[in-house]
Amino acid sequence: MKQRIPLVCTLALATALAPPAAAQEEVYLKVTSPGLTRVMIALPGFPARPGTDQAAAASLVATLRKDLDETAAVGLVPEENARLVVVDPGNPTLTRQRWRAVGAQFLLDGSLAGASNQIVLEVRLWDLTSGEIAYSRRLQGSVGLAPTIAHTLANELVHLFTGRPGPFLSRFAFVSDRSGSKEIWVMRWDGTEAQQLTSHRSIALSPAWSPDGDWLAFTSFLRGNPQLFILRPTQGYLKPLSSLPGVNSSPSFSPDGKLIAFAAGDDGNTDVWVVPAEGGTPERLTHTIGISTQPAWSPSGRQIVFTSAVGGTPQLYVMDTEGTNIRRLTFEDKFADEAAWAPDGVRIAYTTLVEGLFQIAILDLRTNTRSVVAGPGNNESPCWSPDGTVLAFVSNRTGAKQIFMTDPAGRPRQITTEGNNVQPAWVAQVQ
Amino acid sequence: MSRLWTNKPLALALCACVAFTFSCAHRKAVVAPEPPSEASAEAKTAPQPPGEGTTVVGPEPRVAAAGHPESGVTTSELPADLEELNKAGYLKDAFFDTNKSELRPDARETLAADAAWLKEHPTVKILIEGHCDEHNTAEYNLALGWRRANAAKDYLVSLAVAADRIATISYGEERPFGTCHDESCWSQNRRVHFVITAR
Repeated sequence: MKQRIPLVCTLALATALAPPAAAQEEVYLKVTSPGLTRVMIALPGFPARPGTDQAAAASLVATLRKDLDETAAVGLVPEENARLVVVDPGNPTLTRQRWRAVGAQFLLDGSLAGASNQIVLEVRLWDLTSGEIAYSRRLQGSVGLAPTIAHTLANELVHLFTGRPGPFLSRFAFVSDRSGSKEIWVMRWDGTEAQQLTSHRSIALSPAWSPDGDWLAFTSFLRGNPQLFILRPTQGYLKPLSSLPGVNSSPSFSPDGKLIAFAAGDDGNTDVWVVPAEGGTPERLTHTIGISTQPAWSPSGRQIVFTSAVGGTPQLYVMDTEGTNIRRLTFEDKFADEAAWAPDGVRIAYTTLVEGLFQIAILDLRTNTRSVVAGPGNNESPCWSPDGTVLAFVSNRTGAKQIFMTDPAGRPRQITTEGNNVQPAWVAQVQ
Repeated sequence: MSRLWTNKPLALALCACVAFTFSCAHRKAVVAPEPPSEASAEAKTAPQPPGEGTTVVGPEPRVAAAGHPESGVTTSELPADLEELNKAGYLKDAFFDTNKSELRPDARETLAADAAWLKEHPTVKILIEGHCDEHNTAEYNLALGWRRANAAKDYLVSLAVAADRIATISYGEERPFGTCHDESCWSQNRRVHFVITAR
């Protein structure tokens, strides 16, 4: 962890010196409206000055290429096209025109340098349409952090084009039984570096991140009855948040991180409650007959979507955060549950039932239309990537329940294998 | 319809009406299928229900049930060890329909027998666990199991088992009795399970 501090400082400095990001976003946000193809970036590689750690440089470039090829927002100019470009060192303008001719919209060039244990990357992103520099950065860290430097740069590029953070430093919290009991685990977004966070040897369920990735709320049967807990993943610090009668499940943080909505209730009833994230007296939001559970906060912070069986079957409802203006959202489903509000605030992914199997559906709140993304087996528990471009979900298509992620082309990719792995919660970065 | 299910007084009334229809040729105001014989003398003299829509409350037979002569088992004769006691299976689990927390007639019969046993052993305390099959999502099932456990508790309380003897918990689909993927197994997983926590 100590090694990260210089990187963060350098990044902060670089950010301060760079032109205001908001102005750039306005220009480039339009490039990736939904439905449009990916922004094509040329990445010819970075010449390394003498003294650069060659292994770190190679790792950095390889990681950057892999990252940029894995998003829906940006893509790399294919190798067969890149090979056609004759680089003219004496005439960079002509070289940029040649990149444009093979389909590149942007060119990322730069250089690598380094001394002793450090590696420094300086990059410029050229807008090949206007011929102007759209973005420039200087990133520095110890050679062991070369992949992290690449992830950070890839994140910033995705942020530039989408206005939302990229996934490359993101992590999943999830529930796994691979240790013998259901515990909370964390892993990188590609499924690597899985770490067990709880060892309650009981049942742990429904992890939810605070928006900043500094807190994780979840349910545990540690003390017999299910209770709501909150922990700091970087410190292993655990504290109880609600021990109301009932299930104390399904926490969801408000976008400002101050409040947590969850489900609990006496006498067999389950309603949506809200409690300050730092602890306090829970306040009841719904007063429905029967089950109301699975609250999920809207990105605007003004509404909460939840599941209620008040109409007979579980369906999605939405209400204002004061518990008022409850209205039903789903009408075409036999069953609708596990709502996840997309970062754009416009779409809600949820679990529905099609021919006896769970499938993921997406409700578009602008058009009030729903589309089902059916796959083999049962598919449930959708969660959005922090940039809102792809979904992760749980499927038993290969046997046990495993977490899958859709790649930019919409193809599912299995990212867990050991035991059963369920209830993914995705956060841009763990603090 | 669902609103009817969730309305407790009305649901009780419906239960009462069902039991009334099936078990009472003489239009006695009797709810519970148990006990079989002399216990409902009070009920026989109860006034007839004045009309439709009236909540017909059950006979609540023997309030002081300790040492019932026919039972043959008193608390002192129960196994001393709680684990042994639970293995002996004095209390039977009750089963549910898919997605439902309403008590089926067979569940009511089971629970009535459980209530009778509990009243014969007034020091026994129990935990009712609500369990679900995998037909719903995990967190919805947690809420459904909670509803099932409390529906069972409410019924026992309506049969005069003291509420403070009964704790409830939901395990949702987290502790299934069978791990298989067909209806014969699912039906086994939709249950309330009794655990004796004090004798």
